[in-house]
Amino acid sequence: MMNYVEHFPALATMVLFLGAFLVTIFGGKNKTLRIFLAMAAATASFVMVLCVAKYVIIDGNIITYWLGNWTPVKDYAIGIGLEVDSLNAFFALLVTLTTYLSGWYSIKYMSRDEGGDYYYTLYLMLSGSVLGLVLTGDIFNMFVMIEIMTFACVALTAFRNWSKGALEAGFKYLVIGSLGSTCTLTGIALLYAQCHTLNMAQLSAMIAKVGITGNSTMILAFALLITGFGIKSYAVPFHFVAADAYMAAPASVSMLFSGMVNKAGVYGLIRVCYIILQTMGLGKVQTLLVAVGTVSMFVGVTMALNQHDFKRLLAFHSISQIGYVLTAIGLGTALGVAGGLYHAMNHTLFKGLLFLCAGAVYYATGRTNLNNMGGLAKKMPQTCIIFLIAAFSISGLPPFNGFVSKWMIYQAIYAKSAQSFGYLFVTVVALITSTLTLASFIKVTQSAFFGQSRPEFDDVKEVPGSMLLPMWVMAILCVFTGVAPKFVTEKLITPAVNAVMSVNKYIDTMMGAGYTEKITGSAATEISAEQITIGNWTPVMWLVLFGIVLVAFTVVAVFGKSSRGYTNNSKEQPDNKHATFFGGEMATRSTVVGSDLFWGFRHNFKGYFEKLEGIHSGVVNDYAVWAIGALAVFVMYLNAVL
Amino acid sequence: MFNPMWLFYILVFPGALFCFVAGTLLNGLDRKVYAKMQQRIGPPILQPFYDFMKLMGKETIIPYEANKTVFLGAPVVGFVALVTIMLLLPQFGFTAFGELNADMIVIIYLLTIPAASIIIGGAASGSPYAGVGISREMVSVISFELPLVMVLLAIGKKAGGDGVTFSMKAIADYQAANGAMICQWSMIPAALAMLLVVPCEVGCHPFDVAEAETEICEGPLVEYSGAPLGVFKLNYYVKQLVVSALFAALFLGGKGTGIVAADAAIFYGECLLVTFFSMTLIRATCARLKVEQVFKFYWTVVAGLALVSLVLAWFGL
Amino acid sequence: MMIQNYVCSIILLALGMYMLMVKKNLIQIVCGLGLLDYGVNLFIVSVGYNEGGTAPLYVGSELEYLAKNGAVYFVDPVPQALTLTSIVIGACVTAMALSIVIRIGQTYGTLEADQIRRLRG
Repeated sequence: MMNYVEHFPALATMVLFLGAFLVTIFGGKNKTLRIFLAMAAATASFVMVLCVAKYVIIDGNIITYWLGNWTPVKDYAIGIGLEVDSLNAFFALLVTLTTYLSGWYSIKYMSRDEGGDYYYTLYLMLSGSVLGLVLTGDIFNMFVMIEIMTFACVALTAFRNWSKGALEAGFKYLVIGSLGSTCTLTGIALLYAQCHTLNMAQLSAMIAKVGITGNSTMILAFALLITGFGIKSYAVPFHFVAADAYMAAPASVSMLFSGMVNKAGVYGLIRVCYIILQTMGLGKVQTLLVAVGTVSMFVGVTMALNQHDFKRLLAFHSISQIGYVLTAIGLGTALGVAGGLYHAMNHTLFKGLLFLCAGAVYYATGRTNLNNMGGLAKKMPQTCIIFLIAAFSISGLPPFNGFVSKWMIYQAIYAKSAQSFGYLFVTVVALITSTLTLASFIKVTQSAFFGQSRPEFDDVKEVPGSMLLPMWVMAILCVFTGVAPKFVTEKLITPAVNAVMSVNKYIDTMMGAGYTEKITGSAATEISAEQITIGNWTPVMWLVLFGIVLVAFTVVAVFGKSSRGYTNNSKEQPDNKHATFFGGEMATRSTVVGSDLFWGFRHNFKGYFEKLEGIHSGVVNDYAVWAIGALAVFVMYLNAVL
Repeated sequence: MFNPMWLFYILVFPGALFCFVAGTLLNGLDRKVYAKMQQRIGPPILQPFYDFMKLMGKETIIPYEANKTVFLGAPVVGFVALVTIMLLLPQFGFTAFGELNADMIVIIYLLTIPAASIIIGGAASGSPYAGVGISREMVSVISFELPLVMVLLAIGKKAGGDGVTFSMKAIADYQAANGAMICQWSMIPAALAMLLVVPCEVGCHPFDVAEAETEICEGPLVEYSGAPLGVFKLNYYVKQLVVSALFAALFLGGKGTGIVAADAAIFYGECLLVTFFSMTLIRATCARLKVEQVFKFYWTVVAGLALVSLVLAWFGL
Repeated sequence: MMIQNYVCSIILLALGMYMLMVKKNLIQIVCGLGLLDYGVNLFIVSVGYNEGGTAPLYVGSELEYLAKNGAVYFVDPVPQALTLTSIVIGACVTAMALSIVIRIGQTYGTLEADQIRRLRG
């Protein structure tokens, strides 16, 4: 008798697709009905995944589920199987959480757009496909899900086809995305040609038997798969389309993109590198992933410094943060994986939140250009506070969550640098990237929320509660994962890291006990991850900090009373005493626009920035050249070193 | 779980009260020496204290354009971060929160917070002068961050022996066993780099691009008055203390005497020395740089010095 | 011998990539995507081929008939299923791409990739 929870992975995916069809059929006319259907599907799937997560991560089970009950015959998998270990469950949790919150946000945010039924259909398709991707145990099934995902992403990117560049972004995304899918499919075909199976667990065992070094077909397949999933995770040099797509899509969709679509790419990379091909023990593969990650980190953040569109800036930060994740995962150590997964989760939270803030600003003012904003903090105080929380989180200021995961990542990289000087360089780049991230968020803060207010923003109001609610939820999660890192690591991250590190257990659970031994000759011992020493902290420290901050704020509240003549909401002109200082001149509207900040920094890197702008030329052919060139480099490099 | 000593540490020594007293004293001494160098009599040593008390009594004007919560909250957050660093720095054998065993990454990030608080506070005031100021402040943070990180990595490599370490405790232990870090010849370039990082971190004269009174009227602080300005000034004093204490902890550690009071006396004496060499001396002899010059200087000369040490440490020297 | 199949599929893939990289007209880029797709499909079908294999469908009596005629192997049916899936997906992608191209043509008034670059930098 199976536990009823074991049906949930399949059901959670299906209910989203079912919702998509129902919305298409019944949701055309009736707005309330389609929102109800979409939210019902999202909620059901979220609840089911929560149950699965409890069953898998907390209770330590692994779910294997053969669709149609096509269990393996004579050690050959013939049906499509779902296998949910802690890693899958971890990512599934991220996916459904993002979906659920984005759904709440969309209700108001998308209410002004035409074609809401198409939106909800695509939204559910996207969520379902990503969920299917992270839950499946069959590599071709994974490919199909990737294709549905790309498809839904393209359609959602081009959804606001009247806005600047949406169509163009959709087309570019389609071209590069299809290229990525082709790479993945070719890689899968090569693996199939070698092993005659599509089941990941069986593939893993077969490949462990054959070995990858020196087998050029395998190496080609590996390079193709890395490229394919690299394109899905938008690492440099595949990132060009991501910036366009994030910018052009509605904010609730940008949140989905950065919250789960590029996580799907990261998940794919982890699955391929750690489980299926088991190549992460090889130093050269580590070097490759770390190099890609480091370049992504730096290029992403420097491009972000150069942007003046709110969402495009956030998009480049996404690339930069994924760089952190890839670097951490590429280290191949338990601490690295832990840091990478923690950062992936944090990235889902804070970047989703930032996109929601950008969406809120757009909803309230109709603008995304930072040079045309200012003084929104007084009109939208809650959004401003939420934005500051998210910005500090992504910049890694303690006690927010970005700090914890970055800390783990630095330690993992630095520990590696005992082996090779290159990792010292990576550590330096990672730390500098963090400062530059802070810089570019200072720029957003200054030009959107602070600074002088604009007369045309007089009637701007705070966004409605149904948009603020998901934002607050994510903000609270950001703080929570920052102040209780030990709890999160124990409950969520360590099981996932264990799952990544114990390949043989994964294989044996799927294919039946003793299978690994039969194929590879080595028994399935549960390789538990080496003790993940998450640096030298204790949560007490954050409690202490929190206490001091609390005391200090009380002190400020007392000081605050001494201020007089403050007119927050009155419309009349302030008296001279409370006007802004202009050195005796009459107060005029003059503000430092975002593009002009940090010229001291940009002046010294003029050549670098010009070159970078040239590379992001906007021509789709150039982007294809970069992607194919990277593929060629990966193939040659891996062939040369393995 | 709860240790009553913590309250003493946080509030008295080496926490809030001590930071306040020692910071103002240090700044007073600094100003006195500075004046002597310029053949002036200079203010009394307690002048920063008087300044602070006076500002506390003044009216706080919050500009119409400003966001009240952030405007008032920013200086306090900065002060808290500074005090927290003080609690985590090892002073010879003694560390207030030694059991937390915090490491260099925490210190780096906590050191960013005071700068971030100035920036956010300045931005919240809504003044264009502050806008220019915060952009400069941020650029100077980026400037010193690179050499600072490299110095810390070099020390971590040195103290880690075969491996590497981020732990402040390991660095303190290394110095207790092998003598002060500055006595290692391979660390001398790093020490020089750190000496140059200190004034930029604090934001004192040749590198005070952000507050440049003569150009942008104190930049981020232009709209501040009364108590919040007082707290920001206090932050400046405490930052002098904390950053020189960081230098002392990193480079001038050692076995100590074993008596906490004597150790503390020696430690803060070292802080005074560091302040004199890295701040007073440079301040009295150099003219203010432009912001892009600051950036260039730190990413070439100072980072180069740090890199030398990093490479030397890498080769086990 | 399946060597010509593999060569052909590689040529198709290479041509597809070439078109993506060099051709400036959006329709031609979509053609390039199509070529990539065909290349992969051909490749997958070829992977499933067994020298001397027969059709992979049999029930009792057919099996006897085949055995009588000396057939021992049959070709791998899985890649054929994969190819079918892949063809369907490819058709969808092409349709989607073309519909976007139509809208781009209407909005931008051109199909030259060099001029469709409002998002850059």
